[in-house]
Amino acid sequence: MSDKQLVVGIADMKICRGPGKLITYALGSCIGICFYDPMIRLGGMVHIMLPNNMEGNNSNVFKYADTGIPATLRKLEVFGGVRARMVCKIAGGAKMFEVQGNNSIGNIGQRNIETVKKVLAKEGIRVAREDVGLNYARTLLLDAETGVVLVRSFGRKELVL
Amino acid sequence: MKKYEEINSLEIDVMREIGSIGTGNAATALSEMMNRKIKMTMPEVQILGFNEAITKLGDPEMIVSGVLVNISGELNGVMLYLQNLDLINIMLEHVLTSKIDDFSQLGDLEVSALVEIGNIMISSYVSAISKLTGISINLSVPAMSVNMLGGIMSVPMVEFGHQTDKIMIINGKFIVEDKEVYSNLLLMPDIPSLNYLLKKLGVLNE
Repeated sequence: MSDKQLVVGIADMKICRGPGKLITYALGSCIGICFYDPMIRLGGMVHIMLPNNMEGNNSNVFKYADTGIPATLRKLEVFGGVRARMVCKIAGGAKMFEVQGNNSIGNIGQRNIETVKKVLAKEGIRVAREDVGLNYARTLLLDAETGVVLVRSFGRKELVL
Repeated sequence: MKKYEEINSLEIDVMREIGSIGTGNAATALSEMMNRKIKMTMPEVQILGFNEAITKLGDPEMIVSGVLVNISGELNGVMLYLQNLDLINIMLEHVLTSKIDDFSQLGDLEVSALVEIGNIMISSYVSAISKLTGISINLSVPAMSVNMLGGIMSVPMVEFGHQTDKIMIINGKFIVEDKEVYSNLLLMPDIPSLNYLLKKLGVLNE
């Protein structure tokens, strides 16, 4: 019933308690990572663009997988979330264009997926469900009341993660 | 090296002029291909954060077709030509005498025609800039994607993501036979190229 819906932008992170929803639009090669603590109905979502924060640019930690994920987990713990209870679901990492002769553009989605999984493993979090790769954009929605994650994409059925 | 947000109004004017010359040539190319009267708007030069850049171009979930070309050489960056179904139909009607009702009906032939039209427009844009400034620019093979606007726009953003939190968009729009259609021809240079270009044109104020 509640329409409280927080929009997570690119290189952005938001936390919300049920009833409430978190949404991020049109993930391309970026990845949306949802964390949900069912005990206290606390949800967090981070939208990362790139795998590694190589130049030590701290202006926006949520742009990178290797700094954004730990920062999100820390924030969730501040709000009472417990790591062991956390359910994690990810979506994105697509390859939007088949560019010939330029691998940096083509591979970024794949590199994002690999790095996100590596960072999550290091933080001791298992990926419960995922919808990654392929060649289409996805809109990701997390309902903090139920923990249900929806993935919307063009020309495909809505997917429940 | 000047970042996007540090460039002044004179430098923005110069970039707008570059965009204007490029868009004008692309509009001429399009007009010749389709044998129709095509007008263009004065290009806008915008320096925006990632999220603002997408909302400026439309709803992030809107389905558009995008033709993307990487530019390299003395000028590095991305060129992107975005269009919606209305404009695609105008083009297809002319070159293939067929029409589609939605994007799922795009077959190989249609896609190939649209990539080529996009490629010709982007190439005439770039060659005009190259002639004007005397710098050599290489173009990659064009790639096309039909998908959500946000997903398509994230590609150039990711490309520059390591350098900056902002993106510079030089955006030209077309008006086909007095009908406003959704079309955006975007030039997005990276930061070193922007500096190089401004220096080459003698307007870089360091």
